[in-house]
Parts: sequence; C-alpha cells; structure tokens
Amino acid sequence: MGHRTIGGTLRKSLSLACLALSVSLLLPTLFSGNTSAADVNLSSKTYGIMYQREYPGGQKDSYAPLYEYLSMDAANLGGKPVSFHFYGWGRVDLGDQTGSGKTSGEVGSLYLEYLHPEGNGQAKLGRFFLTEGAAMEILDGAFVKVMTPIGLGVSVYGGVPVEYSILDNTTDGDSLFGGRVFFAKAGVVEIGASYLKENGSFQGKNRELYGGDLWLRVAGPVVLTGQATYNQSMREMASQRYAVRIVPGQTLDISAGYESYTYKGLFQTALNPAFVSQTPSFDINDKVQTIFGVVDWEFVPGWTLEVSAKNIQHDESDPGDANRGEVGVRYTYNNKRDVAGLSAAFVSADRPENEYQQYRGFASYSPAKLRLTLDALAQQYQQAIYGKKNQYQVVATAGYQLLASLQISGNLTYTQSPNFQEDWAGWIRLAYDLGISTGGKK
Amino acid sequence: MMRRSNAVKILGAALLALLFGCSAVSKTPSVPPKHPEDLPTGRADCLECHKDVSTGALKPYAEIRHSRVFIDSHGTYARQGQNLCASCHAPAFCQTCHAGKEEVKPSTKMGDRPDRMAPHRGDYTITHQIDGRLDPGSCFRCHGNKSDTKCRQCHK
Repeated sequence: MGHRTIGGTLRKSLSLACLALSVSLLLPTLFSGNTSAADVNLSSKTYGIMYQREYPGGQKDSYAPLYEYLSMDAANLGGKPVSFHFYGWGRVDLGDQTGSGKTSGEVGSLYLEYLHPEGNGQAKLGRFFLTEGAAMEILDGAFVKVMTPIGLGVSVYGGVPVEYSILDNTTDGDSLFGGRVFFAKAGVVEIGASYLKENGSFQGKNRELYGGDLWLRVAGPVVLTGQATYNQSMREMASQRYAVRIVPGQTLDISAGYESYTYKGLFQTALNPAFVSQTPSFDINDKVQTIFGVVDWEFVPGWTLEVSAKNIQHDESDPGDANRGEVGVRYTYNNKRDVAGLSAAFVSADRPENEYQQYRGFASYSPAKLRLTLDALAQQYQQAIYGKKNQYQVVATAGYQLLASLQISGNLTYTQSPNFQEDWAGWIRLAYDLGISTGGKK
Repeated sequence: MMRRSNAVKILGAALLALLFGCSAVSKTPSVPPKHPEDLPTGRADCLECHKDVSTGALKPYAEIRHSRVFIDSHGTYARQGQNLCASCHAPAFCQTCHAGKEEVKPSTKMGDRPDRMAPHRGDYTITHQIDGRLDPGSCFRCHGNKSDTKCRQCHK
C-alpha cells in the first residue's frame, strides 16, 4: 500500500469531522419539534454463506463469512424537509479467512439531506454517493444544488473522496471539489458544463476534469443525449458518449449511439493495478470506440423482447476488436411479482481467446408467502481457459415471509467452470424491512 | 494557471450571487422526497400513472420507464440529477452495485431476484478476463479507484 502522508492524515481527520458534524446536526433535529412525523425505514439483511475450496496440493479450506448489510432512511425529521440516510456493511469470518482479514466492512453512506420544497434545491452533508456532471464519486463532504425560475442552475460540492487503493506507492486523493452549471427547460432540454478537481498524486498529477452533458428533445419521441469529459491533467479526452433515443409509446424503446474513451484520460486515477500494468493486452496508448444499439419492445402485454448489439474497436491491435450481440425475452406474470426470462449472447472477435457464447434462463414463482427462483447460466469459450471450454452455474433459492417485515431465504449454487471442477455454495439470508409509513423506497 | 484559477473563482462567486443574492430560486414544486404510493416489485413503469414530464428530472416519464434501454443508460440521467431517482430508491439501492470495497457480487446479494440486471453472474473471475481485455472502461467505472482487495490476488 502507499505511504500515508501528513496531508493524508489531515484529510482523514477532516473526513471523520465531516461525518461527526452530520451526526451531531442530526441528533437535535431528531429530538426537537414534531418527531412523530418522522418517516423511518430500516432495513437489515444478514447473509450467512458457507463454501469449501480445494486447492492444488490437496489443501481444503472451509469458509463461513457472515455479512450484515444495514440501512436506515429517516425523512421529514422534525416535520422539516430534512432526512438522514445510512448504509453500511460488515463481515466476520466464522471459518477460514476469506479476505484480507477476518473482519471487514465499510460505511457506504451517512449523511443529512435538505430538500427544498421548490426548484429541486437540495443540500447534503456527510458521506454520500454523488453523480453530477463529470463526477461519479463517494464523498465525505457537502453538496448544494439550486435552480432559478429561468432554468439556470448551479451545483457545487467539495470534500474528501472515499477511495480504496490496492496500488503500490499510490494513495487515494486528498481532497475533491467541483461543480456544474446547467440550463434546463422541462421536457425540452437540459445542458450542463462541469468541472472537477481532485488533489492527489495520480501518476504525479492532480485529477482535473472538464465535463459537458446534454439531454435534448429533438422532436416528438426523439431525444439526443451526450456526455463528454476532458482530462486537463493528461491533456486527453477521457470519455464521450452520444446516443439517440426514440420512445414512441409505452411499449417500445430504441437507442443507438457512439461511445469512446482513452486509457490515458480515463485510467489516470486508477488505484487498481489492473488498469496500469503494461501487458501485451493492455497498452496505455489505446483508445476504445464503441457503436451500440438497444431495443426494448413489449410486443404482447407481459412479454418483452430485448435486443442489444455492440461493436468494439481498439486503436491498438493487440487486445483485439469484437462484436457483441444479445437477444432475450422476458415474461412478467403473477401480478408483476414474478418474471421468467431466456437470453442468448455471443461475442465474436478477431482473436479466438476473446470469443464466447452465453445462454441464460431464469424464473421465479411467488405464491402467497413463498418465493422460489431458479437461474441457470452456460458459457462456451472458443479457446479453452485453464484447459476448459465451458462454464455452468445453477442458482436455486427458496424464501418464506415469516412476518410482514421479516423474510428468511436460502440459496444453493452449483458451479462448474475453468476455476472449479465442481463447486457447491449455500447461503442463508435473513431480511428485515421495517417501514413506519408507506411509500416507495426500495 | 493562477489567472484561470481566479477566473473560475470569480465566475463561481458571480453565479452564487445571482442565485442566492436575488433569492432567485425556482418556485416550481420540487419532486416529493418520497414516492407517496408503495411501488410493486420489478421494473417500474411510471407510465401506469404519470403521462407528463417529471418535475424532478424535468424529462418525460416515458423515458424514465425502467426499460432495458433506460437501465443501460441510467448513468446519463443520474449525472444530471438524482432527485427523481431518490424519490423511489434509497441510497442503499445505488450502492448495491456502486460500492466502495464491496466483497459480495450484486448477483449473489440479490440471488432471489434473477430478474434484476445484476452484473457478474456465474464464475465471473473467468469471464472478466475476456470482457476486461475488450472493454476495460466498463470495469474501471466501478473498480478503478474503489477496489476489492481480491483483485490483488492476480493483479499485482
């Protein structure tokens, strides 16, 4: 792991201070005013997983990790448009060690949010997942967004990025800030320009991005979307995505477009060695260009056809180019509680080691309090991987709703793959969902 | 460099003055923080009740219907605002996939929801070798700087 600098220690302190501040602001809000009006949803999911692995040389390990995923969302605190959100998970190994330690976990989000009753104004403070223009980050910090009556708006954010480095001699960023200026006219257009700067040492430089985004209703059901990011630090276009989408009615949805990115521009801030290693199949000078199309058509009520196609071209020849196609059909039944589906996908490439086909079928059956599901997947590789050309996996689950807010379910997974001659895995899940009021949070 | 930095600060200050100084916040009602009705399991079809333009996303509900097209391109919409998403989805929903150092695949966590578009089904340690060679950018968006330590077992 990289060296922890004084700046790094300071920013971690700042990060903790930010989380502590959001909690300290929450407490008086919770216990003042009309607390009974608070709208609380609590969710706990406990997973007990058991599996065995046999390694070359005859070593056999038995794993039994226990995971707890906990989330809480409390809205309308003190009768005000203020809400509190928490999401986190933890793991303890009851058998052999599964990860880098016998325990692990993280706080995914922990923040206070204010939603202004008008103009979609909002503010967040704490740890939250942010997507805004060029940003797609988990941030310990603050975010504010407002819009004027003429449709001009602005958002700003700043704080400490939540990142995890597994790259030698490179630590995560020290601080991150940015913003977006936009103009929106309901149902007609939204266009934005954004800026993001992350202070750190990513290949010896900070990360500095300029972004642009567009949603434009051209005519009737025809919409244009665009999204582009320029990496100022590397002086490279990082990524671009442009698409035409046609939604002529309630049952048909069509999209086609172009996407591209450069390894230099997009992977500058990589903290994972998979994106920086110089191997024959990974050339940092490479650029990927993709043409894609997707169709979703409910041709008969309950029956949906999904077709997608993608052509991938690399500027450098070594990784190889490819075409990917997929066709599938889904049937929704039992008052939309259940879905069955079949799909087939293929990847044809100019290098045989990149070619494979995939077939999948799944179904669920939910009579009253019972829920049963079956999911089967098969893959065939053009060129053997570790001496095998196939992979099969079947997942079967059975669940029972013990109480209105409590469900118990079990899962059995069988896998045969180039990694595993035969692999059986099972887990038990206890899901507790308590909502004090009705409403659509899931 | 300094001049550009100052220009950005001045522009930012001017915009904030415009927006806050004039109390010029839009009077259009915001999207409710929480969808007032319970939603059924499965892909949401906003068009069952809504016919017009969302006050949250400022886009037609027809585009927000959770078709395969929308699911594939949901990032494009989320980057212009999350208010409408947050009306129905708790933050934990996004972070089922957009996680930090998550160890359990979404398809495992949601094993009883085979209808969901969960990535990495099957023994993906095999298939990712091919998908990663062909389109590493699709991996980077989630695994670039929020990585599971398991990646290091092979990527050193």
